[in-house]
Amino acid sequence: MKGNVIKYERDNIDTDVIIPGQYLKIHDYAELALHAMEGLDPNFHSKVKEGDFILSGRNFGCGSSREHAPIALSHSGIKAVLALSFARIFYRNAVDGAFLLPIEIERDAYSNISEGDEIDIDISNNTIKNLTKKQTYKMKPFSEIIGKIIESGGLFKYKPIYD
Amino acid sequence: MNLVAYSSTNPSMINMGKTLFEKIWEDHIVVEKKNNPSLIYIDRHLIHEVTSPQAFDGLRMNNRSVRRPDLTIATMDHNVPTNDRSLPILDQTSAIQIQTLEKNCKDFGIQLFDITSPNQGIVHVIGPQLGITLPGTTIVCGDSHTSTHGAFGTLSFGIGTSEVEHVLASQTLWLDKPKPFEIRVEGKRKNPHAVTAKDIILSIIKNIGTAGGTGTVIEYRGDGISDLSMEQRMTICNMSIEAGARAGLIAPDEKTFDYLRDRQYTPKNYESLVDYWKDHLKTDSDAKFEKNYTLHIDNIAPQVSWGTNPGMTCDVTESVPSPEDFSKGDHNQKKGAEKALEYMDLKPGVLITEIKIDRVFIGSCTNARLEDLIEASKIIKGQKVSPHVRAMVVPGSQMVKKQAEDLGIDKIFIDANFEWRESGCSMCLGMNPDILSPGERCASTSNRNFEGRQGTGGRTHLVSPVMAAAAAIEGRFVDVRKMDLN
Repeated sequence: MKGNVIKYERDNIDTDVIIPGQYLKIHDYAELALHAMEGLDPNFHSKVKEGDFILSGRNFGCGSSREHAPIALSHSGIKAVLALSFARIFYRNAVDGAFLLPIEIERDAYSNISEGDEIDIDISNNTIKNLTKKQTYKMKPFSEIIGKIIESGGLFKYKPIYD
Repeated sequence: MNLVAYSSTNPSMINMGKTLFEKIWEDHIVVEKKNNPSLIYIDRHLIHEVTSPQAFDGLRMNNRSVRRPDLTIATMDHNVPTNDRSLPILDQTSAIQIQTLEKNCKDFGIQLFDITSPNQGIVHVIGPQLGITLPGTTIVCGDSHTSTHGAFGTLSFGIGTSEVEHVLASQTLWLDKPKPFEIRVEGKRKNPHAVTAKDIILSIIKNIGTAGGTGTVIEYRGDGISDLSMEQRMTICNMSIEAGARAGLIAPDEKTFDYLRDRQYTPKNYESLVDYWKDHLKTDSDAKFEKNYTLHIDNIAPQVSWGTNPGMTCDVTESVPSPEDFSKGDHNQKKGAEKALEYMDLKPGVLITEIKIDRVFIGSCTNARLEDLIEASKIIKGQKVSPHVRAMVVPGSQMVKKQAEDLGIDKIFIDANFEWRESGCSMCLGMNPDILSPGERCASTSNRNFEGRQGTGGRTHLVSPVMAAAAAIEGRFVDVRKMDLN
C-alpha cells in the first residue's frame, strides 16, 4: 500500500480536532469528510489526496468514542494513520468498520519520515519502506484480534474459526 | 499464509489470585480459546442519539433484529437544548437525530427516556440513578465516558458505532483483554469540601499522563477511595478515559449497595445479590496487577487545567508553566505546551489565580450530580456572579434537577444570577446550543479541555464544582481552601 505522508508533529491529537462536535449530527460521510481535521488544520481538506497517510506522535485519537473520527479521515482519502501510539477506542473503531489502518510505529520511522514522503506499507511483513528516502522501518505487529478483523475486512465480516 | 502478521497473545496464568477486573471478565466469557479473541457478554447496553443511528441502519440493511431489547436502554442527551423543553428544537439536524432515535426505539422495541421523560438525563447519570447499573455486570455505550459506571464495580466502557451495532445484534463483543492497573489513593484530605474527587482524578492524570492507562482497566483502591461517596467515585471513574484507560473500577462496598437499594430498576432479589457481590467482587490478596501507581492526597490542592488536554493541569496555587519546563521530555512535549499556551492565550509565569474568566459551566457526566450541585451552592449562597461572567448550571438529569429543586438549591443559583437549566450534556461538547464563543474562557466542571471542545475557539479550564462556583463569584480562579465551606 503506497501513499504520501501528511505529518503532524505532535502528541495527543484528539477526536475533537479530528472531527469537531458540531459535525457529529452529519449523517452523510462525504459531507463529514469536508470537516476532517478542521479543529487542527483548516487546510487539511484542500491538501489531502486519495491514498494519503497521516503520521503523528503519541496517543493519536484520544478522547471521544465517535466513530465519525476514522470515518471522516477515511472518506477524505486517508488509508492509514501511522503514530507512535493510539488511544484504544479510535484504534478499534478504525479497524471495526475497515475505515483505515492504525499503524503503530517506532521512533526511527516517526523521526525520519517527512511531510510529503512516499512510503509503502506492507502489513504482511510489518515493514514500512520510505521510497523517497530509500529507508525501511519496522511497524509494530497487530494484536491477534485486530489482525483477524483486518484480514476479514471489518468486525461484521469476522468469523472466528476454532480448531 | 496470513495476510496480516500479528503477534500471539500470552496464555493466561492459572492458579493465581485474581483482580476484580479479571473476575468480572471471566464471568462474561462466552467463548475464549487459545489463539483466538474473547467473545464477551454484555449485560446492559445504553444508547443515545448521536452514536446509534448508523448502527440501526446497519441492522435494517442486514435484516437483523435487536437481540435483547429488554437489556437496551436509550435516552437523548448530547444534542438536546437545555432551555425551555416546551419549545421546538430549532437546529434541524439535531431534531432529526432525536426523531431518528425515537423511531429506532419504537421499531426495535427499546425503552426510551425521551426529552419529556422524568428519567431523561445524561446517560451516565441516569444509569446508576435508576438502578440499571449493577456491580459485577458489563455495560457498554457509544460514549467514552461509560467508564463512569465502574464506580459500582461494573466493567463498563465506551465503544464505537460498529460495536454498538454488534451489541444490538448479538449482545456480545469481540475484545482484546485489557491489563489490570492498580491506582492507590492514600491518605486523608484536610478539607474535603474544597479538595474534591475531581482534584484527585485530575492529579492522577497530571501525574500518569493522558496515555498512562492505555490498554488497561484501572482499579482505584485505598482509603482515599473508600472515603468517597458514590457520586464522588463516579467522578473518579468517569475520567479514567482521560488517562487513556478502557475502564475504571472500584470494588463495591456498603456505600455501593446502599446507593442502589430501592431504585426504580433495582432487581427484586437484590439482597441475595448483595450477599454474592460481597463475597465475589474484590481483588484477591495475591492477585497481580500489571502496573501500579500511588497518589498521596493529604496535601493535594484544588486543580486547574491550563492547557488543551486534561494532563495539562496544575495546582491553583501555581503559575502557568513555561514550555521550557517540559524540555526534559521529548520535543513533542515542549511543542505541545507551546501550542496549548498559544491556543489558551496564556503567558508562562502568570498565577492561576490571576486568570480572569468569561463563562462558568457546572454540568456534564463528570460533575452534575446532586452532591456536586449542593457543594457548589454552598459557595455562592447570598452572593452574586461577577458582572463580567455568564454562569450556568445544567443538572445531569431531570431527577437531579427535581431533587435539587426540592431542596431549594435552584433558588440559591438563580438568586446568584446563575442560569438554571434542563438536563443534558450541554456545554461539555459543543453539539447543542450551549457553546462558548471564540476566545471565551470558561471554568468548566466537564472532562475535556481539547481545542474547540466547548465551541470553536473556546478556552476550557477543567475544575471541580466548588472551584467553578467560586470562580463565577470572583470572576477569576480562587483557592477554595481559603473559603469557609463547612
